[in-house]
Amino acid sequence: MNRAFIVAIREVRTYLQDKADLAFSLLLPIVIFALMYFAFGGESLFHGTVHVVNEDEGGAYSAVFLEQLEAIDVLDVELLAAEDADAKLEDSDLLMVIYIPEDFSENLASGEPAQLLFKQRGNGGDEGQIVASLVYGVAEQMNQEFQVYSEVNSALAEYDIPRERINIVTQNYLDQERASPVIGVNEQTVGSSPDPVNLFLPGVVTMFVLFAITLSARAIVEERRKGTLERLLTTRLSVGQLFMGKFLANVSRGFVQTLILLILAYIVFQIFTPLTFIECLVIALIFAAAASALGMVIAAVARSEDGATWIAVFFTMVMVMLGGTFFEIGEGSALYTISQFSINTYANSAFKTIISEGGSLANLGLELGVMAGVAVVGLVLSRILFKVMPGGK
Amino acid sequence: MAEEFLVAKELHKSFNEHKAVDGVSFTIHKGENFGLLGPNGAGKTTTIRMLSTVLKPDSGDVTVAGHSVKHDSDAVRDIIGFCPQELALYEELSALDNMVFFGRMVGLDGKEAKAQAMKHLEMMGLANRAKGKIAKFSGGMKRRINLAIALMGDPELLFLDEPTVGIDPQSRNNIYETIEGLQAKGMTILYTTHYMEEANRLCDRVAIIDGGKIIALDTPHNLKSQIGPPDKVTLEDVFLKLTGRSLRD
Repeated sequence: MNRAFIVAIREVRTYLQDKADLAFSLLLPIVIFALMYFAFGGESLFHGTVHVVNEDEGGAYSAVFLEQLEAIDVLDVELLAAEDADAKLEDSDLLMVIYIPEDFSENLASGEPAQLLFKQRGNGGDEGQIVASLVYGVAEQMNQEFQVYSEVNSALAEYDIPRERINIVTQNYLDQERASPVIGVNEQTVGSSPDPVNLFLPGVVTMFVLFAITLSARAIVEERRKGTLERLLTTRLSVGQLFMGKFLANVSRGFVQTLILLILAYIVFQIFTPLTFIECLVIALIFAAAASALGMVIAAVARSEDGATWIAVFFTMVMVMLGGTFFEIGEGSALYTISQFSINTYANSAFKTIISEGGSLANLGLELGVMAGVAVVGLVLSRILFKVMPGGK
Repeated sequence: MAEEFLVAKELHKSFNEHKAVDGVSFTIHKGENFGLLGPNGAGKTTTIRMLSTVLKPDSGDVTVAGHSVKHDSDAVRDIIGFCPQELALYEELSALDNMVFFGRMVGLDGKEAKAQAMKHLEMMGLANRAKGKIAKFSGGMKRRINLAIALMGDPELLFLDEPTVGIDPQSRNNIYETIEGLQAKGMTILYTTHYMEEANRLCDRVAIIDGGKIIALDTPHNLKSQIGPPDKVTLEDVFLKLTGRSLRD
């Protein structure tokens, strides 16, 4: 067997023997995944709570209003006492509360207008604004229904039909209309679904793979410190094989960790098809290779493990920031130009193309080419820069 | 006359402006245990690194069994074993795994590497700890494993760079006996140490290096004879006379 593979296998075995390291590196993707799940878990759309003070308790129309609010899938209705709601608004525990006034049903029953009261702190917050628009929608629908009752009653006023009967028939009609509206809305997602997970997963995955830089960067200085480098160099193992072995081990390690993350995402969030899953694995593998090769360059020039770690952490952070992990970088800016020097940019773009935009590997020539190029150039460069004894010729 | 096995000719090596090795030449005969002694920073380690193909000389050359370290380093690596000063071991792995790994690196296949590893562990009195993790071994056990690894591939020439540093007398004695056993089997050894009694006991000839140059080279007996009756003076007396008493660190 090629000595590079034997080195890689030895590295992996060492990694498997270190229980603490193993647990940390395998648990880390699970922890990251759990954080994502709790952040976005299971909710593909907005989900909020509307806080209501119903001062019209027992009123027919306030009951209808609350019923219609509860019928909205993405909205939970929480009823509060007025004093409680006021106190929570005062303490900023709540940013928006809707008050149904005492005379709400009475006014509507007598054909008078009724007013809902929205109390909010500031602009009510993002969730408050979305909840408010949903509540406006319900109020608007109720207005339209009242309009229908009013029109029907006016139109039938000259006939001797009891008003209750007209209202019952109208009510039945409106119920049917709600069940099967004249204008319906069908949602169709092009590519994969616009889940927030889709938006954040690429950044999390790429950030994770970038840890491989630090692991690779320490690889050679660690051997030098232990004296195993010197011993290895007296065997038939060439420096090139040593670098290749270290590189392969780090790629494998980074890839396995990413694989765990992607499998969990596949099972729990169901954002992949089998094909897109495999395509993402290919991207992860090439990106892990690029990241590991950059780590090998640092390993070749670093004089100490601490030095290697700090250089690698610095590179990782810069690439994470520039690579669009946390925020999109608009085209045309100076930052955008700089971001083109981060491999994270290409990895993020590749993952997003597959996960969010429904693209395929065939659309990723540039991204895959850049990452594969970085892997090859990084490996060659690391070999050129490496000196067995720093300071020697 | 014994066959010349290692020939070092006019070796030079500098790091930046510092001349670490400055024109070192000597010959080691087949089956000989050759001691290379010198104070810290004298150039011993750099010399050994050049002899063992780790470093390339700036000028000069070394041949081992006729193979040049400069031009045919792979052939040299096929016949040498190297035991560095440091405990060059993978602490997370077992003794057996360490030995098999280095055995594979010197070109043994898996089965052969395992068989040799067990043989050498037996020789070092560590066969019953073959599957123990290095991290749990005592300093003496690690030193013995360090030496045992150098024997993987049954090298013809063994470089031992201070193989007994910091260990208990029992482990040291075990290493002495192992080295004497290897000598008896005809292995050629290059040995460095700071323990003069060790060199006196084990080495057939000794070279004393200082300032990157060989300043004396002869048998321990002849070196001692240069300053007094060999049964009255020690090799340490010779060493201090030649290298001085001033501190080097």
